[in-house]
Amino acid sequence: MKTRDILAYSFSAIKLRKLRAGLTTLGVVIGIAAIVALLSISQGLQSTITAQLERGLATDTLLVTAGGGGGAGMGFGGGGDSGFKLFVSDVQTIKGIQNVEVAAAIIQRVGNLTVGGRSEISTIVGVDFAEYQDIYGETFVADRGTIPLDSRNDSVVLGRRVIDPRLNGTMLADANDPISIVWINATSRPPTAVTLPTNITGILKQIGSFGIGGPSDSGVYIPIAQAQALFATNECDLIIVKLRSSDQAVIDDVTNAIKSAFNGEVSAISATAVLNIISNVFSIIELFLGGIAAISLVVAGVGIMNIMIVSLMERTREIGILKALGTKSRTVLLIFLCEAVIIGFMGGAIGVGLGWVLANVVALVFRGGGGFMGNQAARGTFEMTITPVLTPTVFLGALAFGVGVSVIFAIYPAWRASKLKPVDALRYE
Amino acid sequence: MGAGWNGFLVCCGICGDSCNDGHCALLEIPEQVKKSDAETKLVICLAMVEAVNLKKTYLLGKVPVNAIRGVNLNVASGDFLAILGPSGSGKSTLLNLIGALDKPTEGKLLIEGVDISTLNDNQLTDIRRRVGFVFQFFNLIPRFTARENVELSMSIADHDKTERRKRAEDLLETVGLKDRMNHKPAELSGGEQQRVAIARALANNPRFLLMDEPTGNIDSKTANEIMSLVRGLNQEKGVTTIMVTHDQRLAAQSRRTILMLDGLIVQETVN
Repeated sequence: MKTRDILAYSFSAIKLRKLRAGLTTLGVVIGIAAIVALLSISQGLQSTITAQLERGLATDTLLVTAGGGGGAGMGFGGGGDSGFKLFVSDVQTIKGIQNVEVAAAIIQRVGNLTVGGRSEISTIVGVDFAEYQDIYGETFVADRGTIPLDSRNDSVVLGRRVIDPRLNGTMLADANDPISIVWINATSRPPTAVTLPTNITGILKQIGSFGIGGPSDSGVYIPIAQAQALFATNECDLIIVKLRSSDQAVIDDVTNAIKSAFNGEVSAISATAVLNIISNVFSIIELFLGGIAAISLVVAGVGIMNIMIVSLMERTREIGILKALGTKSRTVLLIFLCEAVIIGFMGGAIGVGLGWVLANVVALVFRGGGGFMGNQAARGTFEMTITPVLTPTVFLGALAFGVGVSVIFAIYPAWRASKLKPVDALRYE
Repeated sequence: MGAGWNGFLVCCGICGDSCNDGHCALLEIPEQVKKSDAETKLVICLAMVEAVNLKKTYLLGKVPVNAIRGVNLNVASGDFLAILGPSGSGKSTLLNLIGALDKPTEGKLLIEGVDISTLNDNQLTDIRRRVGFVFQFFNLIPRFTARENVELSMSIADHDKTERRKRAEDLLETVGLKDRMNHKPAELSGGEQQRVAIARALANNPRFLLMDEPTGNIDSKTANEIMSLVRGLNQEKGVTTIMVTHDQRLAAQSRRTILMLDGLIVQETVN
């Protein structure tokens, strides 16, 4: 039998049982759609996050945290087992290292902010404004009011979202309006509330992106000295270091120099390393999500096998006729496999389309922001726009996977069909 | 080669030593094509089917059934043989063996000189393509129209689409179904379905037509029409025909009848 005739024959068999074939195909559609939707969303998410990080984390910066024992990435959050602490004054040591242009210590605490009659939980960041602006000259810029570089103790600079939660111009307060920051000192016995009543000095322009250590739309910035007084500490959480060059060699040199300056008790991570870590994490997430979606496809495959075996029983006589007319066993095998290919291909094609639509719908819901994520969450995080990415690899891979799974699960029924003896098959009732 | 023949005798060679069994035809060689005076006659082997001590045992559940217990049979080209016998006599089994649908357990079965007991699955398929099978229950594919059913056997034999269509239409015209060819089996009467089956069986120019109770499932009037169609094909087109039946009157319409009983040929009559 010619290939075209085999295809036509298989197709006529599928057409005969439209509902059954449709439901079988649906299994493949769901599996493939799930894979495509999950992968294109996570790839979109990855490229969004990477892009934002690239903006928020300049490639010529290093983040220094206490706790050098662990590998890169362990450093975040500080606090290694050794009990080593990083102090604000350590900035001077780092500034002395060759190729370091500027370094800024950061103290971060979660506090309660009362502004314009509303009370919100916010991240309070203590940092030297002048140094911070040196490092993040593009993002640490005032839109309203000013950022006082002389570190007046009572100045407060707010991220855009703190004052304009929906980013629609409805400002809760403006520069020079009063603001009060309350921090609960849980280490004292009994815990005491420390209050800093002050006025808004400046409001940052909208940043959009986020970065570890870098300015954020939801940050509340106070001078480092003020933070030290308020939080009653000289320890810092993080030191951001700006290098004179973003060469890998310079990054490595300074990283090593910093580590040795603190006897290996700190970790210094470059933005590039962070990007790599995030990229690795996403690869794992993608694999995981793809794996979950693949399970549904395997279920669909079992469905195909089931249907094919039923179909084989029903068509035993037909197979007998085909064989009596001189059809080769191999052709019978191909006829059945072809049915699986058609189902797999149709399911795959529809599934890719549906998955893509699904990914875009999910992205749209995310973009809608507030309603879906809830006000609190939206405010607490950052504004994020996911554009689903459907790479040719995912497209073709999903299609091939759909066809492949269908064919693999059809091999057994097809083989059984091909092995039927014409006499027995013709006698089958 | 037949005894008593010497000189430049020509034989098709497919039946080997069994030419002296009497199923070879002697033809006078015309003067114009004679190469020498010694070459006077031509032997043409006409054996289509030759069974030698043929046996077939199959398992019915776990019980072995000796369906054929040693059959010797010769069928010559152009013959019209009826295999008569009660059910269970092994006549259908014999027909299935001749049609290469099954393999013999023992003995030799030569189809056009080839012993099918030595063939593998693929080679049996080739034999099946040279055979036209007509079944009691028609065995048409329900989702295909009459024409598509006839075309199917040609598409299996790798024929071209345009060629297939033309031939299917011609054949359906031959069996008198020209205006019914776009109907599906369910829309055709039993007699019409059997005509479609005959047209399908003839599609690949088979060397012989095997029919298993071809009129067993249709009324007697239509059965007679089918029989005259088959007789016509046999007489006019020389299609070798083997028909299994348990109906004495149908068997009488053939040229030769063998009677089978318990897996053996017990009687042979020339009509």
